[in-house]
Amino acid sequence: MAAPTVLRRQLFPLARILSGLSHLKPRSLTVCSGHRRCAVSRFPPPLTPSASFHTATPLSSSAITVTEEPDVLFQKVLVLVKSHDRAVLDSYEFFATTAAQELGITVGKVFEPQKDIERVTLLKSVHIFKNHRVQYEMRTHFRCIELSHITGSTAKVYLEYVQRNLPEGVAMEVTKTAMEKVPDHILKPMWEDLPADDKPSQ
Amino acid sequence: MASRTSKALLSLGRINVSALGLNNAVNRITYSTALSIDSNSGNKDAPARGGRGYKRPRREEGAPRTENMPVDQDWTAVYPAAKTFRPSSIPLPVRMGYPVKGGAPPEKKGNLELIKIPNFLHLTPAAIKKHCEALKPFCTEWPSALDTDAKCDEHFPIKVESTDYVSAGLSVRNPSARIVHLKVKLSTLNLDEHARKKMLKLVGERYCEDTDILTITADSCPLRQQNYDYSMYLLTVLYHESWKTEAWEAEKTVADMEEYSWEGSPSQKNVLDMLVRMKVAGEGEGEEVREQLLGRSEVQEYKDSVTRLKNEGENESSMLQYKEAVKKVFNL
Repeated sequence: MAAPTVLRRQLFPLARILSGLSHLKPRSLTVCSGHRRCAVSRFPPPLTPSASFHTATPLSSSAITVTEEPDVLFQKVLVLVKSHDRAVLDSYEFFATTAAQELGITVGKVFEPQKDIERVTLLKSVHIFKNHRVQYEMRTHFRCIELSHITGSTAKVYLEYVQRNLPEGVAMEVTKTAMEKVPDHILKPMWEDLPADDKPSQ
Repeated sequence: MASRTSKALLSLGRINVSALGLNNAVNRITYSTALSIDSNSGNKDAPARGGRGYKRPRREEGAPRTENMPVDQDWTAVYPAAKTFRPSSIPLPVRMGYPVKGGAPPEKKGNLELIKIPNFLHLTPAAIKKHCEALKPFCTEWPSALDTDAKCDEHFPIKVESTDYVSAGLSVRNPSARIVHLKVKLSTLNLDEHARKKMLKLVGERYCEDTDILTITADSCPLRQQNYDYSMYLLTVLYHESWKTEAWEAEKTVADMEEYSWEGSPSQKNVLDMLVRMKVAGEGEGEEVREQLLGRSEVQEYKDSVTRLKNEGENESSMLQYKEAVKKVFNL
C-alpha cells in the first residue's frame, strides 16, 4: 500500500510538467476554475507531537491520502513575524529556519526590516498642568523569512507547524505567490471561432 | 479553608464516581456528612477555622526535580509542549533581570521575568528534528524541472498573490486577507499589435512599462476565492475585448496614438516643402518630386531622429542625432 502511494507522489512532479504540454488536467471553459486542493490531505485530527515520539509508533501510510488534484506551486512564500521583543524573534527565526531545512524547503533570505516605534505624548495630570506630559512608545520588531519553490502540500504542513508554535505576543503575515498556467480560454481569442456572428458594437 | 473545601469536594467526587446513578438527595447527604467529619477533626485547638492567626498547614516541598535529572535524558519527553517556565524542572542556572548593585541578576527561583517571557524549551533542535520526521510524509517535492525562476515564468506566467494573517485578538479573521493580486506579463499572452495597444488603453494604470507586468487587484468581494475568480474573469474579458475591433476605433485621431509616427505628420510636410523650395532635386513640383525626396538618405535620417526625439524624449544622444540629421539635410 505504501509503494504505490509513494510512486504516485513521485510521479506528481512529472505529471505537473507534462500537463502543460499535453493538457492532461481536466479543464472547464467557465472562468470559475476548479478549486485547487492539495495533493496530500491529512487525516483528522492532527497528532500532537508528544504522542508520536513518546510511543515511537510509525505513522501508518494508509492514513495519508494522495488525490489526483494537481498541487499548487508557490514560487515564493514570505513569512513576516512581528513582536514587541527582539529576543523572542531571534529564537523563533532559529526555529523556523531549522524546521524549513529539516523539511527540505529552500530558504531564500532571512532579514530584519527596521523596527517601527509608535510614540504617544499624553498629559500627565487628569486636570490642567499642560506643561507636564508623559510619553509612551510601542516598539514593533520584524523578521522576514523568504521561502522559495515550495509546493502547496509542503507549504500547508510547514505553515501549520510554524503557526502552531507561534509564541504568545507574536503576529504573523504570510504572503504567498502562486504560479499558474495561462488558462485555456485565454490562449486564443474566441472571435476566431465565430466568424459568422456579428460582433456587437457598443 | 481552601484545603478543607477541596478535601470535601474530593471526597464528593470519589463518591460520585464510585456510585453512579445516585440521586441528588443521597449526594447531598454524603456531602454534608463529609463536611461535618472534617470540621470535627480539626487539628488546631485555637483559633477556629477562618479565625485570625490561623495558618494553613503547608506540606513541605521536596527536592527540585532537577537534582534527579540524568545528563543524557530525553529533553523532548520533559518538555513536549509549550509550557511556562518552571524553575524546578529546568536544570539550567539561568539568571534574568536587573542585577543587584555589585552583584548578579536574580536567580531563576521565583523570577517573574523568566515566567513572563515566552520560552522555546519545547523546540530544541532535537525536538524540531523529531517533529519534522513525523511531518515529512505529508510533504510533496518540488518538480525538479522548474529549478530556475526563468523556467517557472516560462511555464507558469500567471502569478497570484494573497496574504494570510495570524494574530491574537478577539477575532481570528482579518478582512485584508480577501485581497488578491494577479500579475501577468503581457508578452506571454497571445496578442497582436492592435490587441496589445487596445489592452494597454483598457488597463491604464495597472500596467508597468518597465517590467511589462499587468497587475489586477481584486478586493471588492468578501471572500478570497470570489476575488480570485473575479480577477481571472477580468483577465479573460480584457483579453477577448482587446482582440475585437469596434466600428468607432476607425475614428482614432493623432492625439490617441501611443507612439509618434512621422508619416503624415506636419514635420514630414514641412521638411518636404522646404526641400522643394530649396530646389534640391531640381525644378518641378508634384508628387514624384516629393517621393524622390523621401527616398533620400538624409530625409530618412531626419525622420529617424525626429521619431526618436518624440518617443524617447530629449536627452543628449537624441539631440545630437537630430543636430547631425538637420545639418545633413541642409548640407551645412
